[in-house]
Amino acid sequence: MAMETVIGLEIHVELNTKTKIFCGCSTEFGAKANTNTCPICTGLPGTLPVLNREAVNLAIIAGKALNCQINTLNKFDRKNYFYPDSPKAYQISQFDLPICEHGYVDINVAGANKRINILRIHMEEDAGKLIHVEGKPVTLIDYNRTGVPLIEIVTEPDMRTPKEAIDFLVALKAILEYSEVSDCKMEQGSLRCDANISMRPFGQEALNTKVEIKNLNSFKEILKALEKEEVRQKELYDFKEAYKIKQETRKWDSAKGRTVPMRSKEDAHDYRYFPEPDLPPVVIKESTLDAIEKKIPEMPEEKKKRFERQYKLNEKEIDVLISKKMIAQYFEEVVSHEVSPKEASNWIVGEVMRILKESDRIEIPGKYLANLIRMIDMGKISRSAAKDVFDTLWLTDKTPEEIVEEKQLIQMSGADELEKVIFEVIEQNPDAVEAYKNGKEQSKGFLMGQIMKATNGQANPKFAMEILLKKLSQMERGERD
Amino acid sequence: MKTDTDVINYIAALAKLKFSNDEAEKFAEEFQQIMMHFNNLDTVDLSSVDMNGLDQLQPFLREDVLKIFKNEAELFSNVRDFKDNYILTPKVIE
Amino acid sequence: MNIEKATIEEIREGYKTKKFTVKEIVKAYFERIYKYDDTINAFITLCEETALVEAQRVDEKIRNNEKMSPLEGIPVAVKDLICTKGIKTTCASKMLENFIPPYDATVMTKLKESGAIMIGKTNMDEFAMGSSTENSAFKITRNPWNLKKVPGGSSGGSAAAVSAGFAPLAIGSDTGGSIRQPAAFCGNVGLKPTYGLVSRYGLIAFASSLDQIGTFTKTVKDAALGLQTIQGHDPMDATSAQHHGTKNYAIHLEDGIKGMKFGIPKEFYQEGLNEEIKTAIMASVERITKMGGEVEEFSLPITDAGLSAYYIISSAEASANLARYDGIRYGYRTENFTDIDTLMLNSRTEGFGSEVKRRIMMGTYVLSSGYYDAYYKKAMLFRKKVKSIFNDAFEKYDAIISPVSPVLPFDIGEKTDNPIQMYLSDIYTINVNVAGLPAISIPCGFSEEGLPIGIQLIGNLYEEEKLLKSAHALEQDLGLCNTIPTLKEVL
Repeated sequence: MAMETVIGLEIHVELNTKTKIFCGCSTEFGAKANTNTCPICTGLPGTLPVLNREAVNLAIIAGKALNCQINTLNKFDRKNYFYPDSPKAYQISQFDLPICEHGYVDINVAGANKRINILRIHMEEDAGKLIHVEGKPVTLIDYNRTGVPLIEIVTEPDMRTPKEAIDFLVALKAILEYSEVSDCKMEQGSLRCDANISMRPFGQEALNTKVEIKNLNSFKEILKALEKEEVRQKELYDFKEAYKIKQETRKWDSAKGRTVPMRSKEDAHDYRYFPEPDLPPVVIKESTLDAIEKKIPEMPEEKKKRFERQYKLNEKEIDVLISKKMIAQYFEEVVSHEVSPKEASNWIVGEVMRILKESDRIEIPGKYLANLIRMIDMGKISRSAAKDVFDTLWLTDKTPEEIVEEKQLIQMSGADELEKVIFEVIEQNPDAVEAYKNGKEQSKGFLMGQIMKATNGQANPKFAMEILLKKLSQMERGERD
Repeated sequence: MKTDTDVINYIAALAKLKFSNDEAEKFAEEFQQIMMHFNNLDTVDLSSVDMNGLDQLQPFLREDVLKIFKNEAELFSNVRDFKDNYILTPKVIE
Repeated sequence: MNIEKATIEEIREGYKTKKFTVKEIVKAYFERIYKYDDTINAFITLCEETALVEAQRVDEKIRNNEKMSPLEGIPVAVKDLICTKGIKTTCASKMLENFIPPYDATVMTKLKESGAIMIGKTNMDEFAMGSSTENSAFKITRNPWNLKKVPGGSSGGSAAAVSAGFAPLAIGSDTGGSIRQPAAFCGNVGLKPTYGLVSRYGLIAFASSLDQIGTFTKTVKDAALGLQTIQGHDPMDATSAQHHGTKNYAIHLEDGIKGMKFGIPKEFYQEGLNEEIKTAIMASVERITKMGGEVEEFSLPITDAGLSAYYIISSAEASANLARYDGIRYGYRTENFTDIDTLMLNSRTEGFGSEVKRRIMMGTYVLSSGYYDAYYKKAMLFRKKVKSIFNDAFEKYDAIISPVSPVLPFDIGEKTDNPIQMYLSDIYTINVNVAGLPAISIPCGFSEEGLPIGIQLIGNLYEEEKLLKSAHALEQDLGLCNTIPTLKEVL
């Protein structure tokens, strides 16, 4: 029986606001435990939520960037459940009237365009963090994260392979990052993903039992987990034991490399949703929508097309340049200082991307890189010397000119100086010159070696070769200049 | 709508409350009566009511401006087990 | 001066004319409290030290002839579900017996800014659930008019404090009648403003869409003064009214009611209403007519269904509002647990009283899947209908006249066992909360046994001015302001 895989995703994204969704506490990551807190986000008796305007704006931007319809009248609801990371024992979320609905993201599957539909996007507050202590019967609670604004993006079950799911996530991440809605760092938890996966015979319209997978901490893990779960389910179908597939939540255990059933918390997830009485409805004016529309930055797709037109680079290069908004911006900054797009691209795709693996920001001002490239173009330094300068530029505040000076990397390019040296080398190596005259090409290399030695490697090889050949041919003609 | 002790126990579990059998039975009876009384809502014609009609509440938003709560020490002064700036609870198993 | 009869107005005047000092007044009140409160039990916490320090500060101001804020030096008693920074706030529950809020409710900040001096936190029904203050986990408050009787609830402590002459102003909260009914039972003026006029930030929530903070005073004028201070938009409360809350209510207070139209809902005067109460109210209606008000009977078909809607909505909201009490971050924590589940379960089971648990169960039930449409949704729809019914009524009338309670103050212990009977006695007050309207209860007579009877005036949204004007006119005509209980110390 030919089975097809059906995958849907639920993605939680932390919005890039300065303060929490319902109070003025900071959303900054990495603060000491329980220091970004106040009576409101710790659910003290008598406190009330007040909605952050910026959270609504970012949710609208996300919705528009993901081609959704914006519900100009939307509201909050209470989702009731007991868990120590939720101080009010209810989460303020949106149930039946979310802020955005019916959007999509297009991805490329086997050369063709495939549309992954988004069912809805809603706003909600994040919960705190529970830290389990090894070997002790104690759990620690940190409420710094409680109340950080989230949007939850729910897709339709449109993905058919684990790879499609990843492609979707990559595209989604780029869009969210570009629109500056979130910094989308899975390592910091600002992007989280749960996956739902089921299988059904090809041609069947109804969906079979789905399994939810949690604890996916990177795109790699998501891919692995989906692949493993796909295998697990397929086997059960193959052995006619499909009844063993229960609608449950399974946890991805990356150490074990498989999903395991999670201990069920409560019998029924009866969340008893009802409209949040402490918050008025959210009413979005047309003028607000228009103003926001104008502020939406250029999205990845647009940028790609523009780069193709404007800079005439190939697809592979462009894909790297637009992979992160920061990189694309950097590229354009470097180019603005009058260097060729191709050169700028080479350096960024090569050296910058290499170092970026370890670091978060590009530590070389665009102007400096541009100047470095220009120095190579003008022959002032060799390409290999430039790579050395590049590394130093990353680690210090110095300008490329300063570093080149310090390291004495200026190539000898000046015709007079070089000519002098080359003349000397020719004089001192009559055998090699003779050999060259008699057709031995390698002698050319030998002579170059001698030139480099005599100039301590600082000769500009290109120019040196030009001059050497000129001299040699002059000599052949029996002239001397 | 019959309300028996099974329903009471289910609701109690949702509400994180515990009742003895006697209490649960008494509750079931009371509930029965109260819910029957609530049925008088059925005698009212609600067909013309607009559920999403604009209410008394005017929309209200706050600006994304930092507001630091200054009495940090007192914020957690009511916590029984507070150590190294963490709130301690018995182990939570996921 | 007889401190037990003093009004805010009189005290203010006395400070101005230097008839007495603030310290003297505060001390006089505390003397009465120490003499009588062991019997009345109006207070859970007393704040004598801080009150005297404040008194000193205000006396300085007076000595230096500095400008006085509206409630400068006025002692105020506060219902113990309003957060007071650094001072125990218990909601009369074991669950919050030792809870000390790290912040002040907005109403407290406003009172402080206005110069008022808090003398203590008053007793109440646990988490504001109840109509007699018998549901307090700590003590039973007695009605100053008859110590065997309840003071009403849930703000029984605040009502008793004003009647017993422990303070000229007390703050309470009203979700289904919790200010108006105790005001009627204790023979003073209880005002519940329009929903949203007074900030709920810092009011420990019972039912978020119904709760409102209000005042107990001896006179309607004092109520106007109190409202002046506590009203106003609060950016910390998203449900607080944005375009109201700046009116001065004293200006038109004495304008009289000539030409005003009053409606009497005929459904309110059918069987079930105590005869003596009916008589007293009808007598007041006569007075209103004599003063030039036009009174007319009309139909307001909401009473029964309104009660159901009220209990469904308030229990549902309460069940969610009270879910945060689990012993982890504050509040009562059981000694008896094996893991986090039993910690929460037992803390809640042991920390809450039976009425609170009953309401939580009701609320959880009506919200649970399968029952949501049958109860909660219907109640919400009916609520909208109630609002539109009242809206129609106020097109014709300036105010609606109604009883406050169908029964006279009852004996302590008489009604405790029958919850449904308790619920039914809220019949005249709950619809006001369901519709978010302002209402005031003023004394309009006494029963043969000498128990106070209250009359309720209900106004349209944000029309406190009309309400206070009518209440003031009636109050002045009745002339009952100076009647106070004798406080027999011996039961």
